[in-house]
Order: sequence, then structure tokens, then C-alpha cells
Amino acid sequence: MGKIEMSISKDLKSVKKKRHIKTGKRTRAGKNNLIGYLFISPWIIGFIGLMLGPMLFSLYASFTDYNITSKMNFIGLANYKHMFTVDDMFWTSLWNTLYYVLFSVPITTVGALLLAVLLNQKVKGMKIFRTIFYLPAVLSGVAVYFLWMQLLSPSTGMINTMLSWVGIEGPAWLFDPQWTKPALILMKMWSVGGGMLLYLASLQGVSKNVYEAAEIDGANIFHKFFHITLPMISPVIFFDLVTSTIGSFQIFQEAYVMSESGNGGPANSLLFYNLHMWNNAFKTFDMGYASGMAWILFVIIMILTVFQLKISKRWVHYEGGNDK
Amino acid sequence: MQKSISFFIVFMLIMGILSGCSSNESSASGETQDGKIVVNFWSFWGSETRRPIIEKIVKDFNESQDKILVKHTYLPWGDIWTKNLASVAAGSPADVIINDINTVAQRAENQQVEEITEYVDDDFQKQFYSYLWDAVVHKDKVYGVPFNTDTRLLFYNKKAFEEVGLDPNQPPSTWKELEEYAKKLDKKQGNTYERIGFYPLWGSTGPSTWMTNADNGTSYMNNGKLAIHTPRKVAALEWLLQWKNRLGDKTVQTFQAEFGSEQSNPFIAGKVAMWMDVGTFYTQIRDYGKDLDVGVAAVPSFEEGQGHWAEGGGFVAEIPKGSAHPKEAMEFIKYLTGSEAQSYWAEENFDNVANIKGAETAAAHLVGTEKEIYNAMVKNLEETNIYPTPVEYPDYQNTINPIIDNIMLGKITPDQGLKQAEKQVKKLKQ
Repeated sequence: MGKIEMSISKDLKSVKKKRHIKTGKRTRAGKNNLIGYLFISPWIIGFIGLMLGPMLFSLYASFTDYNITSKMNFIGLANYKHMFTVDDMFWTSLWNTLYYVLFSVPITTVGALLLAVLLNQKVKGMKIFRTIFYLPAVLSGVAVYFLWMQLLSPSTGMINTMLSWVGIEGPAWLFDPQWTKPALILMKMWSVGGGMLLYLASLQGVSKNVYEAAEIDGANIFHKFFHITLPMISPVIFFDLVTSTIGSFQIFQEAYVMSESGNGGPANSLLFYNLHMWNNAFKTFDMGYASGMAWILFVIIMILTVFQLKISKRWVHYEGGNDK
Repeated sequence: MQKSISFFIVFMLIMGILSGCSSNESSASGETQDGKIVVNFWSFWGSETRRPIIEKIVKDFNESQDKILVKHTYLPWGDIWTKNLASVAAGSPADVIINDINTVAQRAENQQVEEITEYVDDDFQKQFYSYLWDAVVHKDKVYGVPFNTDTRLLFYNKKAFEEVGLDPNQPPSTWKELEEYAKKLDKKQGNTYERIGFYPLWGSTGPSTWMTNADNGTSYMNNGKLAIHTPRKVAALEWLLQWKNRLGDKTVQTFQAEFGSEQSNPFIAGKVAMWMDVGTFYTQIRDYGKDLDVGVAAVPSFEEGQGHWAEGGGFVAEIPKGSAHPKEAMEFIKYLTGSEAQSYWAEENFDNVANIKGAETAAAHLVGTEKEIYNAMVKNLEETNIYPTPVEYPDYQNTINPIIDNIMLGKITPDQGLKQAEKQVKKLKQ
């Protein structure tokens, strides 16, 4: 993907250069540019007004005691100092979030991939299975969380009832601080359909010739999977990893809905980073502090994404060679 | 061709910008065609029961005079404060809003609400319960008018009392009695409970309910000083732990998870014999518990002769900072918190109201069990306190609650936990 974009932009640059030289008239090129900018102006206005502007504003706000209505005094690094040295809940929320990311991202990625491979087999009625497994991804939001709160109910919930059939006494899930996060991760497993669809599409794009060639060379099913399938769809795995890592760091709704009055669950076990930030911003109206938290999260995610990009060169395979 | 396209686009952009400006202007005029001043009123009362009542009050006010037109807007509970704040920041807020009584001082301090001292005098103030009025005063200035409030009562199942040989007219009055009665009311089948006599953390209660009750009605702040780690509060948590240990984690969690769904209240279903809740809980009993013979009592006291202190809360009517028509807004607030509107609200909603005469009028209109219970609700206010969030510690609940969770989970002793909580809250001082 990256390669295509790069080459397009290169082409564009050369086109522009050529045109500039050919016509030799500044005005003509300027006019063309103007029209170009006009066409992308909705996006530019949107980006500056709704993204870049507020982002820079929040960066500045993070160095102030901004409370939305009356105060905005510059207080230097005080918010950041408070975050790292005074606010114990900052560390709790960061730990909860890391825990969630660390488990949910690999589990859902592997889950989606396995499911996609299974659904890529040539079996009669496969379309029905694909629909069924994708269905949970269509249902989303608060209704699903309420459904899961019932499924996870310690005594009458379906999950513990089923566990009891095989003689396992299920935990109290959302009521036991040890089990709240695993409960959420379990819930996430249910909606791997979105990732699965991506993998399924890319699996179907893998050329049959490659498999045939491998079969002739005597490759078995595992060889084919690890040496052909995985490398061929690795760009999609990479894309899924990056986006789901970012998404998981931003987990909020689940905890907000599933913990009593959005307070972060028993003993703060569901107090995720964004929930703590939200509480600071909209419960105590300490918007300056919340802005600071947002920027710290931005930095964390940025570092991780850059790290993933760097490390991706070792395992992500782009057809036609890696573009440098 | 290109020229005409580019002109067209520029034209469209300019039109868009212009139309955006003009529509803003027309909506901010704040007057109806016949010269009435529009007062925008925001509340979160959108339910089937509450909405018609508040809208009737608004309608009555609009018909009572010809200068002001109140427009009521319902905003969901989760949105109303954020939306209010955003509109205050943008300089175009509503004129009257219903807001939390415990955070009036916070909003005053942060200039989110108009001061209304000039519109109220001593006679006006005397209409309201004094502890509620105190909450709307910040640094000797007035920032809102109390609207409604609540208080905790012990509801008990008279039939269950008779069944186990307790006098249904003698509800427990101390913690010790409460425990004795609860044990008698427990009904077990093998190892599982069919009925639990009482559990102090179910209903509209929490650890703070019992800590304040034990500590003579004082919360985490006492005369401007932190009072988190006090002997009585430690004792209260130890007492709560005893309940938990006696019934067992599993029983408590199992029961709790079942009524988390709110499909059926366990007290109404007869699964719990005594239940702490706010007065309005009675409407649920009235509507869904036809066979239930219910009695109410004040919160049992820590020891014989101590107060029956109950935790309260409530809402105020206030004028967001920057309202275009504060004078007219105040006219409406006076009507809203006047005895007529208040008694109507109290009767229809079965709710505690802040206006004393309003509460008494409502009690006089009611009959039978409703009257009995409403009287108990009103009387209970004598020993009810509200606990406004201290301005210096806006976030103290978020710090204390997880520690209390850990105490209740047995990870830390009440003494150590409260000590730690007090230390951490001290660090937060702004």
C-alpha cells in the first residue's frame, strides 16, 4: 500500500514540474493549484478546524489550569508533574489499559486469523457460516454490553451456567476485580468478525499458483500456512495489529457502561486510561489535566506505532519487494 | 469551463459561511413575535412519569403571566452537564438549568453559574430547609435555589416480620437490633439463602451511608477539616465487613448480580426482608408490589440514643453563567421552587421537595399508606444531611471509593485503608 502511495506522489510531483516548465506561465499553474486546493478545501478546513486546531489548543491547555469556563492560567509542567508524582489513579489506569492491550490485541488478532482460515475452506454452506461469524461485528455499542452483563452474571449468566455443566465454578466476572478485565477481553473475542473479514478478503487474494508450486515441491498444510499464507497476508496482519493496538489503548465505552455509574468498576479494576481522562475532563472539569493525559497517551501510542513500523520490516512481506 | 467551476465553488463556500452566520443570529434574539422574553429551561426529566409533571409546571407558569415564555428542553442525564458547560464556555447557555446540589460551590468557584443574591431575601430563603439552603451559598453569596431532595429510609416487609415472630410495628432502631432482626429474617434452604433479612450495602446505600450515620451525621469533611480516618468510620466499615463475612462473598455477589438487571426488585419480590432506599422507592412498591405490606423507619442508629442520620442529595435550579435573561429566569425559578409547584411535584412524583410548605401541603393531600410514608419521608429530613463536594477536593470521591472497595474486598483493614485514604486526599488539595 505504502509503495503505491509513494509512487503516485512521485508521479504527481514530476507531472507538476513538467507542466511548470512547459507552460512557463506562473499564472496558469497557480490557477490550477488554486482549483486543486479548492477541491480539497472541505478536507483542509475540516482538518485545520476540527483536528489540528483543537489538537494544538489541547497541547497548550495541558500547560494550563483550563477548566472550560473561567480559568486558563499558564502553570508550566504542573499537570504533568501531578500526573507522574501525585495521581496514583493515573498509574492504575495506565496499568489497566496496558493489561487490556497486551491480552486483547494478540488474542483477537490470532482469533480473527484462525477464523478467517477456517472460513476460507471450500465447504458447502460456507456463506452462512461467514454471515453468522460476522454478525456480532454488526451489532455493537451499549446494547451488546448489556447483553454481556447478563451473560456474565455470576449465578444466572449463561457463561457460568455452561461452565457449571462441565464442573467448573465460574468466577464472579464483573464483580471480582481479578476477573473484570478478563471478562472484557472475553467479550472482545466475540466481535472478531471485523478483523476476520479483512483476513478473509486477503486470503482470497493469495494466488493459487504459489500453493500449487509448493505442493509440487511436497509442502504439507503447515508449510503452506507458515511459508505462504502468513507472509502473503502479512501486510493485512500488520494493518490490523496497528489499528487494533491504537483502538485498544482507547478503550472507554465498555468500562463506562459496564461499571456502576462509570466509576471504573470494583477497586478501580476497569478504570482505563480514557475513562480516567474523561472523569477528569467532564466530572471534575479539570480540562487542562485531561488534555495533558491525552497527550501522554498520544506519545505512548506514537512510540508504539513507530516501533511496530520499524519491526514490521522484518516480517511484513510486500509483493514486489519492500519499498524503501 | 474551469473558470465557471471555480467561481461556483467559491460562491457556494461564501454562501455556506454567510448562511451559518445568519442562522446563528436569528436564534439568539430570545424574543417571541408577540414580545415575550424566551427563557430556555433545561432539565433531565424525560421519563414517562416526570416529563408530563415538569411540563405541566412550565405550562402553568407560562399561562400565569404574559411577559415570559419558558421553553423546556429535555437533555439525557449523561449529556446535560457537559452540554451546559460547553454552552457556558461558548457564551450561549440556557437560562435555567436543573443541576446537582452537591456541586454548586464548585460551579460558583469556576464561574459556571450566575450569582442570584440580589433576587433573594431572608423571607425567600426561609421557605426552604436550611441545610439545603446552605449548599447553594458559597462565600456568603447565593448561586441557586434548592428544588428537590431525598433521604434514606428503612423499608421493611411486615408479613416477613410476623412470619418469624417479630412485631411488625417495632422496626429495628439500632445497628444491633438491625443485625438481630436480619438474622431472624434469613431463610435458608440447605446452603443457599431463599431470603436474606438485610444487607447494608443493597438499595440506595453505600459504605458512606453507614460511616456518616455512625459519625453523628458528618461525612469526610467536618468543619472544613478532613474527617476520613475517624474511629467511628473505622467501626462502621468493620461492621459492614461482618455482614459480608457472615453471608459470604458468593451469596452477596449472586444476589447482587441478579438485581443488577433491575427487572425485579428483590425487596418487592420478597427475597430481601428489609431494604434501605430513598422515599420515591415507595412508588415501585405501589406499582409492582400489590401484596406487599410495607413499613418504613428511620435509618437505625449506631448506638442507643445516637441520631438516625441519613444521607441526602438533591437538585437545584440555577442560572448558567452568561444567560441573556437572568431576571426573567429568576422569575421562573421562583415559581418552580414556590410552594404551589413544589407540592404538585411532590405529590405526583412522591418525591421530597425543598420547599417546606410545599412538602407539608403534599403530605396533607395524600391518604392512607402514602400519607404515612410521605410523612416519614418529610420527618426524616430532620436527621438528613447532604455532603457537598468540598471545593478544595473536587475529586475526593474518586480517591476514596476504590480504597473502600479494597477494604470491602478484605485487601486492607478499615483502619489502614481509611488512614491511606485520608493521606491521599490530603495530597489532592487544590
